[in-house]
Amino acid sequence: MTSPKTILIVDDSRVSRMMARNYIGVLHADWNIEEAGSGEEALLKARSVSPDLILMDVNMPGMGGMAAAEQLRQEWPAVPISLLTANVQTATRERAAALGLGFVEKPITEARIATLLATLTAA
Amino acid sequence: MPNSPPEHRLRLLQSVLSAISMGAIVLNPGRRIVLWNSWMQQYSGVTAEQALDQPFLAMLPELQGGRVEMAIHQALSNNFPSLLSQTLNKAPFPLYANALAVERQERIQQAIEVTPIAVAGAERHCLIQINDVSIAVGREKLLREQALVLRSQTFADSLTGIANRRHFDVAIDREHRRARRSGQPLSLLMIDIDHFKPYNDHYGHQKGDQCLIRVAAAMAAILKRPCDLMARYGGEEFGIILPDTDLPQAQRVAEALRSAVQELAIPHGRHSNSQHVTVSIGIATLDLDTQHDIEMLIGAADRALYQAKHAGRNRSISCST
Amino acid sequence: MFALTELENDALIEIFNIGVGQAAASMSAIVDEPVAMSVPSISFVDRREAARLLDSKDPEAERICGVSQHFEGAFDTQAILMFPEDKSLEIVRLMVGEAVPLKELTEMEQEAMCEIGNIILNSCVGTLANIFHHELHGSLPQYHVGTSDEIMNASGSQPDTVVLMLHIDFVLERHQIRGYVAFVLDVTALHDLKEQINRYIARAMGQE
Repeated sequence: MTSPKTILIVDDSRVSRMMARNYIGVLHADWNIEEAGSGEEALLKARSVSPDLILMDVNMPGMGGMAAAEQLRQEWPAVPISLLTANVQTATRERAAALGLGFVEKPITEARIATLLATLTAA
Repeated sequence: MPNSPPEHRLRLLQSVLSAISMGAIVLNPGRRIVLWNSWMQQYSGVTAEQALDQPFLAMLPELQGGRVEMAIHQALSNNFPSLLSQTLNKAPFPLYANALAVERQERIQQAIEVTPIAVAGAERHCLIQINDVSIAVGREKLLREQALVLRSQTFADSLTGIANRRHFDVAIDREHRRARRSGQPLSLLMIDIDHFKPYNDHYGHQKGDQCLIRVAAAMAAILKRPCDLMARYGGEEFGIILPDTDLPQAQRVAEALRSAVQELAIPHGRHSNSQHVTVSIGIATLDLDTQHDIEMLIGAADRALYQAKHAGRNRSISCST
Repeated sequence: MFALTELENDALIEIFNIGVGQAAASMSAIVDEPVAMSVPSISFVDRREAARLLDSKDPEAERICGVSQHFEGAFDTQAILMFPEDKSLEIVRLMVGEAVPLKELTEMEQEAMCEIGNIILNSCVGTLANIFHHELHGSLPQYHVGTSDEIMNASGSQPDTVVLMLHIDFVLERHQIRGYVAFVLDVTALHDLKEQINRYIARAMGQE
């Protein structure tokens, strides 16, 4: 049994956040889950809750997931950040690899979340 | 048909499949080839015996991860058909019209449809139809070439042969957007032949035309880079677009142009302060902070040209915005 | 007029964003350039309003290019991807590379537009079908060009139909193009849609 983690879910879609929260909760009921609805909000939230893992939707209005992930990576070089996206292209993949970001393909499923969390708890 | 015995119907259908002039491949749910018609045999060089029961992607590994594979997935998993146009998918299948085409590695141009098909007593199968559209592609290539020739004709000034005002308008807009994106400086020169109307009146229109041609040629010779565009902007006015050129560079080019025209030494008896034909040049460089649209850049160059005229002509002046 | 709650709206937009996201990835593979597509908003309108949405302010630019596919099975709908004609030219020429400098799409360019529509529509409806666990069958794409009214009425003019309009943003090589996908739905399909969205939300909340 691992110690409870704090996960920050960033997505402009409320349903998407609910879904991720639900799937994480099924696997780790004791973990703390925080939400943010935009890249800007993510930066603020991350500073106040110090997450152990960040799930970041790429396609958001305003700052956008990639830009937010880049900034978060600068402030927290060690926190695992996974991009949530249905659109994985070479350019995105390369940029993510350079920043040390992971991927979770959309639609978010219990299986995909489980795979992601397994790597987190193993580390 | 419904009343004939099954073997007869089967032989009839087999004959039809052999005779149709397009490729037909059928994949089973496991993506193995269960039909490979005569057309496919003829143009792929692979016989039905060799193809049947082979995993499709193992036989054609170059199609892995591409649009064809995606279309097969759409058909088998989602029950959706797909269209693969010849323009977006350049000849995906290795099909050749004849031995010479194989030598030249020139594939048949293909229009492809991938459709799900229901098979009684089995799960969904996938039909791939391939049409030879080489003739249509050739026709459109010709059309495109002809259209391009026509367009270049309408973009050239008939007298001097350099770009015309339409071309200038298109080019300045394009270069402006490019400069905004790249942050590289864009300069514009507006050039006017001094006292051109008196020249025309005194020497006649034929000489006037010749003068324009010679001045245009002399200035064109100065511009070395392919991205620089000189166009006939008006009757005796020229516009020169200098991408990736800052103000000092533009000033140097302007001086070289002014000097080249003067060196032509075309006699001008009606000039206010010169024996020969000269030009006045207005220079403006795009200021990304203040100039928001292209009219402002052209306006700035025009103002500089006006100043050059007023200061005595046969000179270049830059606009300070 | 048919309407969804905020949560239902959010869910549907998210589903379509996943769909066009996958379509963008496919198109990116074709042109070897980054392609981004998103659905910023959706609306439910009648056919006439749908046609009005497509009309631009410029009276010269009147024609619309549409690619339509019919889907049937668990629900029945005519899906139409639409761009103003000049935008269609822009998209096709960006995707294809070489351009024929004509004001209309050539026959081959129309076929390319058909394929683009095919990719986007299959992806959108496919995602919807998978998430709703529905069985559907689709038709091959058809190209139309005409006024917005003609395009919207190409599928016939049955009364009591509502159009679900997706506003689509398409970005390729710094060109940002706005288009629409229209789903023509009858009353049954609409209620089925609402029901399916709610089941999806319930699953998201772990209640199903």
